[in-house]
Amino acid sequence: MSFFVVAAALLVLPLVALRGRTLVRCYVAIGGLWLFAALLHLRIPDFDPYLGNVSVAVLTFAVFALFLARGEHVRWSANRAAAIAAIVYACTIPAMLRTPIDGDEPFYLLVTESLAHDGDLDLANQYRTLATSQTGRRDLAPQPGDPRGPHGEQYSRQEPFLSLLLLPGYALAGLYGALATIALFGVLLVRSTIRWMEDEGVPDDAARAVFPLFAFAPPVLFYATRIWPEVPAAFFFVEAMRGVRNQRLKRWLPSLFGLVMLKLRFVLVAIGVVATTLRRTRARLLALGIVVIPLVVMWLISGRATNVHAWSEILPTTPMKYVVGLAGLLADGMSGIAFQAPFYLFGLFALTRWRHTPRGFRLGILASLLYILYLLPRPEWFGGWAPPLRYVVFVMPVLALGIASQWERLSRGALAVVALWTVALAIHGLAYPWRLFHIANGENALGEWLSSLARADVSRMFPSFIRMNHAAWLGAGAVVLLAFALRRTRNDLAVPLFALALAAGFAYAQQPGPRVEFEDIHVEHHGGTLYPELYAVMRVTYRGGWTLNAGDSLTFLARGGPSTLHYITGPGATIELAGRAYHLPPAPAYTTARVVIPRAGRVTLRCLDGAVNLDRMDHDDDRR
Amino acid sequence: MKEDSLSPAGWIAAAALSAWACHLAVRFTTPIDSALPFVAVLVTLLAWVADPALMLATPLLIAAELALPDEGVRLLAVGAIVAVAFACAVVRSPLRADVLAVIALLLLRWIPRPAQIGRELALLVLALVIVYVLGRTPFAMAVGVAAAFFTPAFPLRTLALPLAVLVVAMAARVFGMPELRLTIPSFAAVAFALTFFAWSGLVARALPYFLRPPSREPVRFIVNRALAANQALQLAVPDGARALVLSGANVPHFRRGAVVGHIDPGHLTVRIGDVADWGYLRRETYYASHNPLPRDAAGKLRGYGYDAWLDGAGRVALPRGAPVVTVTADASLPAGASLQVEGFELAPR
Repeated sequence: MSFFVVAAALLVLPLVALRGRTLVRCYVAIGGLWLFAALLHLRIPDFDPYLGNVSVAVLTFAVFALFLARGEHVRWSANRAAAIAAIVYACTIPAMLRTPIDGDEPFYLLVTESLAHDGDLDLANQYRTLATSQTGRRDLAPQPGDPRGPHGEQYSRQEPFLSLLLLPGYALAGLYGALATIALFGVLLVRSTIRWMEDEGVPDDAARAVFPLFAFAPPVLFYATRIWPEVPAAFFFVEAMRGVRNQRLKRWLPSLFGLVMLKLRFVLVAIGVVATTLRRTRARLLALGIVVIPLVVMWLISGRATNVHAWSEILPTTPMKYVVGLAGLLADGMSGIAFQAPFYLFGLFALTRWRHTPRGFRLGILASLLYILYLLPRPEWFGGWAPPLRYVVFVMPVLALGIASQWERLSRGALAVVALWTVALAIHGLAYPWRLFHIANGENALGEWLSSLARADVSRMFPSFIRMNHAAWLGAGAVVLLAFALRRTRNDLAVPLFALALAAGFAYAQQPGPRVEFEDIHVEHHGGTLYPELYAVMRVTYRGGWTLNAGDSLTFLARGGPSTLHYITGPGATIELAGRAYHLPPAPAYTTARVVIPRAGRVTLRCLDGAVNLDRMDHDDDRR
Repeated sequence: MKEDSLSPAGWIAAAALSAWACHLAVRFTTPIDSALPFVAVLVTLLAWVADPALMLATPLLIAAELALPDEGVRLLAVGAIVAVAFACAVVRSPLRADVLAVIALLLLRWIPRPAQIGRELALLVLALVIVYVLGRTPFAMAVGVAAAFFTPAFPLRTLALPLAVLVVAMAARVFGMPELRLTIPSFAAVAFALTFFAWSGLVARALPYFLRPPSREPVRFIVNRALAANQALQLAVPDGARALVLSGANVPHFRRGAVVGHIDPGHLTVRIGDVADWGYLRRETYYASHNPLPRDAAGKLRGYGYDAWLDGAGRVALPRGAPVVTVTADASLPAGASLQVEGFELAPR
């Protein structure tokens, strides 16, 4: 979309909600921002114009959001919030289409196309004629484990309800229509959430302040403009919660139906809603009846009520997996809320003030618990190949409600830092939508970028629970502490402390780390290949590494002294590391070798003979 | 957010933490990078007088230092962050013009640390007096800052400029001039200067330079010859050459339009305005100079902060298609003056 259209849309936004002097001041501020941007553009003509334009657009919206939150003359209602959301999401959709849709998105669209053109769910002909598909993907193929029919029908593992919802939009405008349908659910979600806040007695000024950080920040922003069931699910969940809170059967019953039809996993949410909110037997029976419907639908399509899942998945597993999953959702650098949606850290703070939060918030959290409990131990708790926090998007309106209810008690310094970080995340996601997807290798986009700038392992400063690192438990502990520490105080030093953490973290990261993961970006690869390949299914279950053949080499920062090299090699290999040669005998399973680095600094590991898959190198000080 | 302001001890702690953080973050060696802790303290002071949210400038400064290896982009980013913080401070706290003026002047004139501390302190005092005389409004702040900023303070008599401004301001007040606020133009003017505070000396002495797109790092075919009056130099034009880069030596007293040389074929006249004296923008020589900034400046940006300057080289287009050019220094050049042929600028490949 032309940036002129986006600029015009941004100029319309203040008219929706601002009046009088607040409106004039907002326009003056926006004018100043644009002039300043033009001056910077004049002086840095080589700066990526797309990134520059996206940055200016996001900052312009941030200026508007500030006036919306703090202005004196503001017209505010759920409908106005929805109108603002509609404008912003309409501008965001084209940005998301800089690259073809990814993850589960093309499969949902493929099912929609099958419904629209063939009136069935069999995708066999769709896979054969991908050139005519609006997915823009020629590389699609059935995923391992996708259901097959008795006569060779090829079904998708994705539940068909979302595709059904996309059908009218798709019929009208193809891919754009499908995306507009999701955005429409986003708009409805925003409206419902603001109405929910009103229902629960949240003051208008708190709702106005929370609104942009909820609706136009990760994860909602990115899921409202891409084809995933998460935002429609969030809408149905909020409507269900509003329905049961207001005891309106006509609201919660269809909402619960929509929720469970979107994804089988939401049946757990529905059970939570039934268990925590419905008191009457008739209502519970109705709700449980609804819960059964998706199982029947999936049985009819795939011959199995649980689709690609197994009943054994609901059996409890080892406690540590729950702990890792929970800590990961909180603190993981790639997929945790602390780094990918930091605004919801304040939701944790709201949890610490449980008794002072609205009843709707408490019920929403309780209703989600069963689902979250089953999510935590799964190997893909982080969402797999999807934008961050996929599996918990539907809880975000609940957390937003809790945050709004505690707005006056939140640390202003922390809010400022979080707002800044959120603006950066929005700019990054809109300018580089493909980076919303990240392979599960223990790094994240920011860590990789800083690592390549500094030629050092900056990624290790970000907690990872996907590939456990040293920062993981420290990070999780810090998040838990933050949950209690985010309260408003007289001497709020959150901003300078954040600055200090940033600088100290980077300074420390420039020293060699105790562990070198050979597939990481800070390791300079001269030949060799990534293991497993980039898009391997369930990549997270492999020990990642870098495969070297004779002549290939790696350069990286390492600590001096003895270390342990973790590797696997079929034919055996001879390597040279920091000037010393080592023979690695053939090993059918991962094994270790002792190596010595003469002194700390940049070293080269060269494969002289044979081939070896190098997993990592641990400095001896770090052995546990 | 003034209701969320810290206690004085809290602010001191915030400034110390910010300075420490910036000290740890410094990765590069320019005086501006080295002065980041000082900048952080000033930004914290801005936050103190205006709005605690302005403390956000410190992590942004650190982010710029860590993430922008290109020197020009990084220093401009640092300036932009400071300028935006300053503009917000003026809007949020327009009546603290005295503190804002001091902060602006410290940023504009005290990086790198000035050699003549006494003169700089005198300038600060003069600026403050102007601000008080004009009523501590944003306009007063802009006038005070401008009077002190544009004064090279070398030679000493250039302090007459802020003194003159002070006298005019006092007279205006005596004759009933109201306290003008003019908030937006005032903060815009100072914020503009602050945006480029990494080269503030050049802003003070050649402001139009920053309203033009910067020339990319050119590829040059070096000649480096100085021609005295009437001396000529014949040069074969290298492949891909698009302009000749010339400058003057010992011609700072020439006024715009004065002829300094000719290029043949075509008998193109080279004047002051096309080129300038090589060192005329240096702080020590600027006061005595009458040269304007060359129309198409090709000089290299040298130094940082108030010591920054640009050499006076200018691009002069070559006669179209000429394989050989002759550059002749004008006969009117006085003894000791010369026309310098620095080289050919080649079109980027």
